[in-house]
Amino acid sequence: MRRRDNLTAYLFLSPWLLGLFLITIGPMIASLYLAFTDYNLIQAPEWVGLENFTRMLSDERLHNSLRVTFTYVFVSVPLQLAIALLLAVVLDRGVRGMAFYRSVFYLPSLLGSSVAIAILWRQVFGTEGLLNQVLALVGVEGKGWISDPSTALGTLVVLNVWTFGSPMVIFLAGLRQIPTMYYEAAAVDGASALRRFFGITLPLLTPIIFFNLVLQIIHAFQSFTQAFVVSGGSGGPSDSTMFFTLYLYDRGFGNFDMGYASAMAWFLLVVIAIFTGVNFLVSKYWVFYEN
Amino acid sequence: MRIDLRPRTVLIHLALIATALVMLYPLIWMVVSSLRPGNEIFREPGLLVKDLRIENYKAGWNALTEPFTRYLLNSAVVVLGSILGNLVSCSMAAYAFARLEFAGKKMWFAIMLLSIMLPIHVVIVPQYILFSHAGWINTFLPLIVPKLLATDAFFVFLMVQFIRGIPRELDEAATIDGCGRAGIFLRVILPLMVPALATTTIFTFIWTWNDFFGQLIYLTDPHMYTVPVALRSFVDATSSSSWGSMFAMSVVSLVPVFLAFLLGQRFLVKGIATTGIK
Amino acid sequence: MTRLKALAAAAIISTLLAVSACGGDSGGPAAKDGEVTLRFSWWGSDARTKLTQSAIEAFQKEHPNIKIKGEYGEWAGYWDKLATTVAANDAPDVIQMDEKYLREYADRGALLDLKKAGDLKTDKFEQDTLGAGEFDGGLYGLNAGINSFAVLANPAVFKAAGVALPNDTTWTWDDYNRIAAELTAKLSGKGWGTGVIGANEAGLNLWARQNGESLWTPDGKVGVSAGQVTKFYEYVLKLRDSKAIPAAETVAQDMTASLDQTSLATGKVAMSFGWSNQLNAFSKASGQELKLLRIPSTTGQATKNGSYYKGSMFWSISARSKQQQAAAQFVDFLANNPASGNILLAERGVPANTEIRAAVTPKLQPADAASAKFIQDIGKELGEPSPAPPVGGGQVEKIIQRYTTEVLFGRLAPDKAAQQFLDEVNGELK
Repeated sequence: MRRRDNLTAYLFLSPWLLGLFLITIGPMIASLYLAFTDYNLIQAPEWVGLENFTRMLSDERLHNSLRVTFTYVFVSVPLQLAIALLLAVVLDRGVRGMAFYRSVFYLPSLLGSSVAIAILWRQVFGTEGLLNQVLALVGVEGKGWISDPSTALGTLVVLNVWTFGSPMVIFLAGLRQIPTMYYEAAAVDGASALRRFFGITLPLLTPIIFFNLVLQIIHAFQSFTQAFVVSGGSGGPSDSTMFFTLYLYDRGFGNFDMGYASAMAWFLLVVIAIFTGVNFLVSKYWVFYEN
Repeated sequence: MRIDLRPRTVLIHLALIATALVMLYPLIWMVVSSLRPGNEIFREPGLLVKDLRIENYKAGWNALTEPFTRYLLNSAVVVLGSILGNLVSCSMAAYAFARLEFAGKKMWFAIMLLSIMLPIHVVIVPQYILFSHAGWINTFLPLIVPKLLATDAFFVFLMVQFIRGIPRELDEAATIDGCGRAGIFLRVILPLMVPALATTTIFTFIWTWNDFFGQLIYLTDPHMYTVPVALRSFVDATSSSSWGSMFAMSVVSLVPVFLAFLLGQRFLVKGIATTGIK
Repeated sequence: MTRLKALAAAAIISTLLAVSACGGDSGGPAAKDGEVTLRFSWWGSDARTKLTQSAIEAFQKEHPNIKIKGEYGEWAGYWDKLATTVAANDAPDVIQMDEKYLREYADRGALLDLKKAGDLKTDKFEQDTLGAGEFDGGLYGLNAGINSFAVLANPAVFKAAGVALPNDTTWTWDDYNRIAAELTAKLSGKGWGTGVIGANEAGLNLWARQNGESLWTPDGKVGVSAGQVTKFYEYVLKLRDSKAIPAAETVAQDMTASLDQTSLATGKVAMSFGWSNQLNAFSKASGQELKLLRIPSTTGQATKNGSYYKGSMFWSISARSKQQQAAAQFVDFLANNPASGNILLAERGVPANTEIRAAVTPKLQPADAASAKFIQDIGKELGEPSPAPPVGGGQVEKIIQRYTTEVLFGRLAPDKAAQQFLDEVNGELK
């Protein structure tokens, strides 16, 4: 099995390679070039060397956006994955009406980044929103969750958790992939449900957990649409939801500073790459593959 | 049908139903709003409605320069093309990465992951220029061709992880039966990764259906507009917006994705676990 | 592999070259048999789209050899798309432009000087209304509708509070604060007196103009002093402390809400600041006939409240358009032809062409008629036109919203906020 199959492999890879060279790489390299220029989208770019990168060092709004983004990544990713995994496992136990619950839990994710989200979120977390009405019932005075700088980011975390449907579906598919023979063998040995979960389900699901972790981290670092839609593109109040990509977009398209935006994008790429790389290194110790 | 009333089961269901209600509130609000006269939507919050009206649906359907059917059809074309592309090209690439040994494998895999780490906003301008050279602006090609060429690394990686979960013994057995690489891919791997393919189909459907930025940039002629682009045409942040129509058409546009999910999820459960391979 | 590499190299090189040389396909498709196709883009909701489409049809009837392809969309996406297409040298021929981005595009040579576009007449425009799109000796945006910053008042809320509508020709900022605070007190928890000033830069600009300064200077610099911005923010704090305005959270929420979700639209505040052409939209949203009031002044004289005619939007033509003549004919039709005037009415603001304005005023809906009358009424009181924001100045709205929020939440003192605001705005200018 370990013989090399270069030719076969490249044949299988050929659509992807074509896409890489014809579509993906060109714009990527162009943006790398633009990162070293002053480019306002209308006039030709001018080479400025490292200026964009040195400017990033003293840009306080950029530093703030990094803080916001890191907080978001570290809070929302584990939370969303934990809930998705929990519900996937519960739903996979053959609960009656599983198809119904699965669909219901997935419904919010169908909305994606629709314009309606901005309105819906205000309906829940605004000063007159559902949450405050519920709090008023129990005698607690609410606040403007979306417009208070100290809670606005929290509502976006909730929004992200609310759309846990995608990782949940991936977990469910992963659970279905686990061969029944393992469970049957375990049943013969008389293992308890808990032991079956930790002994079989969890280890065999690790490739999928790993996948969700890697992709959700990449995704969270690039988080843009939800903050854009909910804050009306401002990253407000007071920059409290100014994600890195939102600021990058604001520089590129709002302030016509595409050179700087490109530099920011490549900085982000390096950050994400480091996280992903570490993830892959650490995965050797906890992700279990067949063979 | 015997109803299971053990406290544990009841508790689980109560918890699930409570979660479902919390999760659905915004969606229910949206459906209710779509049945209200547009100017009442924000003045009378809450879910109670005196009379349900379907005017918003009629108005919204014909409010733009084309009937809404046109946008639904355009979206359907983009979605179907993307699904086909992702299923074929991503599974091929995934098989190579998961099962074959070849020079530069790790490097290519790293490049693949790197390619999804740049925010779209800085590549969109060069990409637009590229496609405009190809004469593809205002066609569906910039939205579909990249999918045919597996540029969506998310799905490649997803399938890699699933293929790695398939026991290699099966490949070996197939080899002994005289299958080549292509044979193993088609007859062993693909049937066994149906859940992953279903996931890919569902996600591609939903994400493409909702994708706004690419469709906004590449489709200039209103004849070519897709659902998300059309939906935003009801709204003007600084002036009058047709919220009623927007909510109504949002509900309409949720129907195909929800149906796709309902259909697709049947295949989610058809893994090794149910096909009975031991 | 070598062929693949060659292909890839070609793709990369062409992208790079295109970016650096602004290459790419041209604007309009080539003419055949004297037939010309123009691309025309605007932002707005479906109501505007319908009317604009009818105007296009009316034009095509008069000019059978010119075909207009309309492209429309919502505000934020509109600008992303415009920037991308301009970068790729693929911009629409006729562009609906906003003051915020006018110089951004014009100063970099993306817009045509309309004075040089032959078929476009501007003789029926008042100089004040032309001035808004004119700088460096050229006319880069033709006023598509006149607007003025104003106070929008909800008489129903005034009535509920038992407070009389003020005399807006004599009121001062102190009167304004007093009246708004009284409204809040008498509404006893059911509403507030006013929305905040400082939710956009227009309020600060008028404040500055009342005090002999101006947000922007004609040569594209910041024209307001730190002292004046400090006073402005001290006034904002006065409004907060007298409870004339709602809690900071509600105010901040209104800044990014869509028009229909703001406190004024939902009848929670008696007054707010806005643009005169929003009267119709706010009236529809609130279900009340709102009224336009003049902006208060420092001295109590409406003639000194710094008001000016702002272009609610502009018509611009791409400098790279290959059909400049036809584009100019079309813009001329939109601005000067009674046929289009009768279709578009006040959809983009009160028509700037005085003849069209006179002709359509009787046909307007009540709210639009009221805003047309308001525009006419304040005509005698106006000061100098206000210079368009310089390159980079389009960002100022988001910046002032942020600092107003900081001040209202008590996170920055007025003088600190003023200084940081100015530093940041200066940093954005190029």
